[in-house]
Amino acid sequence: MAGATQLRIASLHDVELCGLAATGERRAFGELVRRHGSSVRALLRRMGAQPSQADDVAQDAFITAFERITDFRGEGTFAGWVKRIAARLYLKRLQRERRLGELAAESAPADEGQVAADAEAAIDLDGALKALAPGERVCVTLCFGTGLSHAEAAEALNLPLGTVKSHVKRGLDKLRARLAPAGGASLEGRRGNG
Amino acid sequence: MAEVDFERRLERLFADAPELPDAAAFAGRVERRLNTGWTARRWLIGAAGVGGGIIGASQIVMSNLVQRVESAGDSAKVLSAGLTQITPRAEWLTSLYSGGAVVWIASALAIVAMGFALSRVIEEL
Repeated sequence: MAGATQLRIASLHDVELCGLAATGERRAFGELVRRHGSSVRALLRRMGAQPSQADDVAQDAFITAFERITDFRGEGTFAGWVKRIAARLYLKRLQRERRLGELAAESAPADEGQVAADAEAAIDLDGALKALAPGERVCVTLCFGTGLSHAEAAEALNLPLGTVKSHVKRGLDKLRARLAPAGGASLEGRRGNG
Repeated sequence: MAEVDFERRLERLFADAPELPDAAAFAGRVERRLNTGWTARRWLIGAAGVGGGIIGASQIVMSNLVQRVESAGDSAKVLSAGLTQITPRAEWLTSLYSGGAVVWIASALAIVAMGFALSRVIEEL
C-alpha cells in the first residue's frame, strides 16, 4: 500500500506534488526534495559554499519551502523557487558571518594556480567558477543559476547595481575564456560534478 | 548574438546540475527534519490544548457556576412544577437539572471544546 502510494507520488508533476505538499502531505514534498536536492546543493556550492555548509543551507531552504509552500503559485519552476530561497539563506548566513562585504571587492584573488593546474576543471562549469573572484562567482550564480535580475541580485547582496553588473560582466568574460577556449565543442558533455 | 548564445548555454549548464551520489541520503535527512518538526508541533498543539482546557475548567469552577446552575435548577423545578400541572410529560426537566452532575458534564464538554478549538487555531497558524 505504501509502495503503491510512493509510486503514485513519484509519477506526479512538480506542481501536483506542491499541491499535495500544501495539504501537509510530507511524502509528496519528500519526492520534490529527491528530485531537486542535488541541483539546490550544487547551486550553493557554485556560490562558494563548502559542501557541508551547502547541505545545511539546502536543508534549511527545503524546510522553509515546505513551510511556505502555499506561496508557490506555479509561476516558474519549483526548483527555481527553492534555489532562490536557498541563495538568499546562504547570503544571510554570509551576512551573519560578516563575510558578505567581501563580495563587494572588485577583484579578490582567485586561486588561479590551482585551477590552471587542473585540466579537467578548466572545461567544466564548477572548475571554471573557481577561477572567479568570490563576488563575481556569487553574482554570476545568482543571475544565471537562480534567474535573479541584476537588480534583484543587487538587493539580495546589498550591493550597488553597478557593482553587480560589473561583477557579472567580468565573471562572464572569465567563464567565456575558460568554457569555450576553442569553440567550446566539449562543453555540453563535460559538466561539473558539484 | 554570440553573447546571448553563451548566456543561454551558461543557464543550461547551471540548470543541468548532476545528481549527487548521496542525493537519497540528503532527501532522507530533510524528511526526518520535517517529521521531527511535525511531531514537535503535534506535541505543542496537544500541550496547548490541555493547558487551554485546564484554564477554561478552572475559570468555570471559580466563577461559582455550580451555585448559579443549582439556583437555575431550583428555578427550573419551580417552572417544571408549573409545567407539570399543564402536562405530566414535563417531568424530564426536573430530572435533568437535579444535582451538580450536569455542571461537571458541562465542564468536561467545555474543556474538550476549548481544547479542540485551541488546537485548530494553532494548527491553522
